[in-house]
Amino acid sequence: MRKRSEKVLSPVTSQRKILYVLGMVNVLIIIILSFLSPTFTTYGNLTAVLSRMSELSMLAIAETIVLISGGFDLSIGSIMALSGALCGKLYVMGIPFHIVLILALLSGVAVGGLNAFLVVSLNLQPFIVTLATMSIVRSIVYGILKGIVLADFPEKFLDLGYVYVFKIPLLFLIVVGTAVVIIILLKKTVIGRYIFAMGANERTAYLSGIFVNRIKFFVYCLSGLICAIAGLLFTIRIRAIIPDAGINAPLEVITAVLIGGTAITGGKGSVLGSLLGILAMYLLLNGFNLLGLNPFWNIIILGIILIYVVGQENILKSLRQRRLIQSR
Amino acid sequence: MKLFKTNSNDDSRDARQDKNGFAALKRVFQIRELPILLYVLGLIVVFSFITKGFLSIKNFENISRQISTIGIVSIGMTLVILTGGIDLSVGAILSFAINIGGQGIVHGWPIWIVYPFMLFLGIALGWINGFLITRINVPALIITLGTMNIYRGTIMVITEGKYITPIPHHYNFLGSGIVPFVVLAVVLALFIFITLNTRFGRNLFAIGGSELSAVYSGVPVRQFKMIVYVISGLLSALAGMILVGKSGFIQPQAGIGYELNAIAAVVIGGTSIFGGSGSVLGTFLGSVLIGLILAGLTMMAVNPYWIGLITGILIILAISADAIRVLKKAKG
Repeated sequence: MRKRSEKVLSPVTSQRKILYVLGMVNVLIIIILSFLSPTFTTYGNLTAVLSRMSELSMLAIAETIVLISGGFDLSIGSIMALSGALCGKLYVMGIPFHIVLILALLSGVAVGGLNAFLVVSLNLQPFIVTLATMSIVRSIVYGILKGIVLADFPEKFLDLGYVYVFKIPLLFLIVVGTAVVIIILLKKTVIGRYIFAMGANERTAYLSGIFVNRIKFFVYCLSGLICAIAGLLFTIRIRAIIPDAGINAPLEVITAVLIGGTAITGGKGSVLGSLLGILAMYLLLNGFNLLGLNPFWNIIILGIILIYVVGQENILKSLRQRRLIQSR
Repeated sequence: MKLFKTNSNDDSRDARQDKNGFAALKRVFQIRELPILLYVLGLIVVFSFITKGFLSIKNFENISRQISTIGIVSIGMTLVILTGGIDLSVGAILSFAINIGGQGIVHGWPIWIVYPFMLFLGIALGWINGFLITRINVPALIITLGTMNIYRGTIMVITEGKYITPIPHHYNFLGSGIVPFVVLAVVLALFIFITLNTRFGRNLFAIGGSELSAVYSGVPVRQFKMIVYVISGLLSALAGMILVGKSGFIQPQAGIGYELNAIAAVVIGGTSIFGGSGSVLGTFLGSVLIGLILAGLTMMAVNPYWIGLITGILIILAISADAIRVLKKAKG
């Protein structure tokens, strides 16, 4: 009995360990950079980093949910661009802005629904499905924007980027709010536990009476919605929408999410870890920029961290198994 | 058959002939690549009716040049996917090989050193992929995502984002006329032979079907997986050399998006993303299909923005056909 409970607990403890390590890494980066560069710890720089990482953080939250459920979503960056592009285009066409916002968010839900439909009804591999929808949605974005940068938005909407609450950028607070909601959803509600169960073993979840297909629809639509919000944040932050918005996002986000301890096989992961992953990414990038180093050292380091984090866990697991066998 | 039995004297021979003919026809229909071949032929017919000048040698030469680089990369990707893996770093390897190898051009090295050096870089990076995947035992998706970042970052750090622009004209030979397509054809023939007729090739299917069974059957799985990633790296470098010949300059951003296009060609060509079934020929036809659509739409003056839409729909159609086939098989 005790052994079983240990087994159940072990992924949770390893999850906590990853969070601690990631938190330490972030603190370490901050300490080192604050010694190396005097401008790093200024209020202006830190808030700039926070608002810069807002949209990728949203995408990371979305990707985390999908990965936990055992799925995969490459279309996040395209959905982000679609929501921004629709927002701009419909506003230029003269539709009232609050309706435009709703439509932009709905577009994300619609693409998520399409992903879920293809994954569920035809039983297709999520990786390929979202690869296809990524290409399709990006193409629609190009078609909508026709290669132009749209900067025609209501001033009030764009000025949200300058709003600070308690001296923290509003954009980042939106991320925090979303993260809190999603963490509560994943940890404290039945649906959240279903998502974890489905990711860990879909067959078992199905046999235990979970409506696997409905949960999948929910997960992909939720991911689409969050990505659509990310598109709005992006538009606010750069005060325009560009056709290539978020074109590299899938790979960056997946890297950060996996560094944050989310398993690519599903059933395991944390939103907080993903956010810490994104934070480390942006702190490093900011540091390299401030120090005048080549910012591309950033992605080299990220690649190494990614392989190390995921690989190390596996090595530990195999070691533990070996020890178990020996002890028997 | 039974109805005619009384009427015909030598019905048995007739029946056998009939059966043989039918079986042959059935076998033709069971060829995996047939649907996609029909799509390709159908497209050529449609486009030749719609657009003027589609059926010209010059146009086909253009198309062949366009598909050659992605075709070669896709063939390597096919082998990787056959074993149940994936290689997201092909674009990065392509760029790494030509950019770092291209430093040789800057330093005035002769072509017979630069070309082997580029190929060597491809092999080395592929070997790193294979080594990490087989030793750390982490999904290939994660490893190659990581190495993609590492390779891309290294390129930018070493080249500092600079183009290598006047390159000696004899580098253009690989990208001129039908040379790219000839290279593609040779690679294609070689790998069709390897996948169908060698122990190594057949075992790739076995590894993709069930890695554990392959291990228990005595297949050197680790070694073969290493070789597959090395081949993928080598072919990426080769494609990069052709790209240099075609474009006449070397840019650090070369090959961005190749990994996804190559996966698209492989999947459209009927190779299962889970590994274990598929063909190199199918992948070739997949890349031809994408190339034809691209060229046809360009000639019809369709906005190039919509090409991604069509590629995406093609991918979905291809995999749904595959899924439906599997479902039918499960039922029947």
